Amino acid sequence: MAVSIAPKETADLNAMEDEAFRTHVRAWIEGNYPAELRNPPKRLHWEENKPWYFMLAEKGWLCPGWPRQFGGMGLSPAKQIIFTEEVERYGCARTNDHGIVMVGPLLINHGTDEQQQYFLPKILSGEHIWCQGYSEPNAGSDLAALRTEAVLDGDEYVVNGQKIWTTLAMDANWCFLLVRTDKNAKKQEGISFLLVDMATPGITVKPIINLEYHDEFCEVFFDNVRVPAKNLVGTPNRGWDMAKALLSFERIYLGSPRLSAYAFTRLRQLAERMGVWEDVAFQDTYGRLRLDLEDLKSLYGSFVDKLRRGKTLGPDVSMLKVFQTELFQRITDTMLEIAGENAGLLEPMEGNRNLNPTGLYIQARPATIYGGSNEIQKNILSKNVLGLPG
Amino acid sequence: MSQALDERSESIRMIRDSAGAVAPRDGDTKRVRALRFVEPGFSREVFAEMGALGWIGLAVPEAAGGAGLGMSEAVALQEEIGAGLAPEPLIPAMLSARVLAAAGDTALLGPLLEGGKVVLTAWQEKADSIAVPGTGDAPRVFIPMAGGADAFLLPVREGNRIALVSLDAAGADLTLEKAMDGGFVGTLRPDLSRASHVADDIGAVLEQALDEAALMTAGHMLGLMEKAFELTIGYLKTRQQFGRIIGTFQALQHRAADLKIHLSLTRAAVESAAAVLDDGATGAVRQAAVSKAKHRAVESGMYVLRQCIQLHGGIGYTDEYDVGLYLRRGMVVMNQYGSAGLHRRRFMALAPEDVE
Repeated sequence: MAVSIAPKETADLNAMEDEAFRTHVRAWIEGNYPAELRNPPKRLHWEENKPWYFMLAEKGWLCPGWPRQFGGMGLSPAKQIIFTEEVERYGCARTNDHGIVMVGPLLINHGTDEQQQYFLPKILSGEHIWCQGYSEPNAGSDLAALRTEAVLDGDEYVVNGQKIWTTLAMDANWCFLLVRTDKNAKKQEGISFLLVDMATPGITVKPIINLEYHDEFCEVFFDNVRVPAKNLVGTPNRGWDMAKALLSFERIYLGSPRLSAYAFTRLRQLAERMGVWEDVAFQDTYGRLRLDLEDLKSLYGSFVDKLRRGKTLGPDVSMLKVFQTELFQRITDTMLEIAGENAGLLEPMEGNRNLNPTGLYIQARPATIYGGSNEIQKNILSKNVLGLPG
Repeated sequence: MSQALDERSESIRMIRDSAGAVAPRDGDTKRVRALRFVEPGFSREVFAEMGALGWIGLAVPEAAGGAGLGMSEAVALQEEIGAGLAPEPLIPAMLSARVLAAAGDTALLGPLLEGGKVVLTAWQEKADSIAVPGTGDAPRVFIPMAGGADAFLLPVREGNRIALVSLDAAGADLTLEKAMDGGFVGTLRPDLSRASHVADDIGAVLEQALDEAALMTAGHMLGLMEKAFELTIGYLKTRQQFGRIIGTFQALQHRAADLKIHLSLTRAAVESAAAVLDDGATGAVRQAAVSKAKHRAVESGMYVLRQCIQLHGGIGYTDEYDVGLYLRRGMVVMNQYGSAGLHRRRFMALAPEDVE
């Protein structure tokens, strides 16, 4: 899949005024995004979303957060948020973005020159599609209990174990993997990051059908998989700290109002279609959800401001993830309540993907589970923010 | 009185026991999974077995060939059916049997009671409604498992009365949509020139039958809740994280206790409503009791089913694990025969302070 891509736009866009930047991004998306990929009812596989990936790559807009010297846009956090808002506003599909969002920042911060030079261009070109090997059957909420082990044998690690909930692993040709490299250390202190070519003998990928009847997640089995030792990122046995840093980034992403905001626009369309829009009781419910969404945006904005001022986010960012995902669920709960018997249909109503209450309801269910369940987020808040004992 | 109660609890126990034939007590979902998204979405053999067990005529008077039992037995049966996720359209068939028996029909009722013919009543003209306008050729929507019907019954307004006609399913203009739980719902565009007259005036009995169907649906939801909760409690007692059984975490214990409260509320609402109907309640008293039960079953049911997914974590979001099957069925039945909102409004409009 060797692709050679020369980005068209290489100017530093940070110099633009925010509103001019927003208009610039919006115009390009509206002029280029493939209409048939707008607001996909399910997460798209690589074969479906790659036209968008390549379009972004050619434009030079694939990696808004990466520094410019690595081929990214080098956007400030504030500009990145505008960029994301515009992508979401238009209903652009999520790409296979683990390389962009996770592996890039990991290697830029902790990788060797050789790793950076080898891997980063292949993310930018779409040659490498990454998946994230974190959770295991017995290490979900308790991620640090992971047991997939990597034993050094000469200049190779031999990996054995199993990962689960690996998003779109069947599309990926590389995996960034948390492995146990020291069984005797405290559980957080014996974990390392390995980069693994999915074509290596001994890897088996088994899709999991989820409640959407979709194969978004996979189990990945490792049976004596030999990985070059040079594919270890950072310091051996210090992988947990790097993973945690990436997870806090994930938390602000999962706390972004985009999912709730999207569902909220669809709630109004559904209410109009079902003839309850004018209903006083519905308006009261709708008003409550709308104010929750407004306040979520304000709270999100306050975290974004911190980033804008160059501060790093603390454990309190977990608040966003909790409130956003619960709001997303409450909005979709309301959808089912007003949908009548359409609440039991598998497909969008009347073939209209904007009237998809059951699809959104099902998609909202795991939001309080993935990315660190809300129970775990509340543990973080009570212990690390409030300082409660235990 | 107490002898009558004893007899009643004995008949309920027997009904529950007999349900094991169709809805396995051990929670085996192999049969249910194999039927998903394969038209018509249920097994005609099992439907016939339901007929042979006397379930379709459970609440039909003995004089009309039924078992002459009541709603207390019917909701107990539905609880078992829900817990076993049986997809056969038993509630719609019982509704049809009730109407045919009151209409004095025998030609369709006999084969329906035996389970040899699937007769479904196409009464609904719009979403979230339990009203029967009987608009002659208006499309009839959300007919459960319509692809398996041999005949449809259509209420048709004639002046001040609602007459009943039947329509052969063969050759009918029927479109099917897939349902969340693997079943199908149909839209029928009736051609009344092909219809046969069945009865002149079934308006009142259809209203009663729809109330009974709403109550039985609440019983079905109760069964879904019970089984999903049982799976969840089992999971809380075995799953380990952080070196502990997760059921030892107080936050999860409290949530499980909340769910149990909702289960008990729902059982109380459903069983008390069934008793009200079995005492012969009519009109506003019957309607208020049914609305109270259906409202509770939807509100508490969907809350419990959602939390059962959450308490399982990732495994609860897989198709392979059974707990999601209960949520999906819950989505299908929650608004059948009226949403929580509809029943809340109806309950309030009936001024129950005066009728109770």
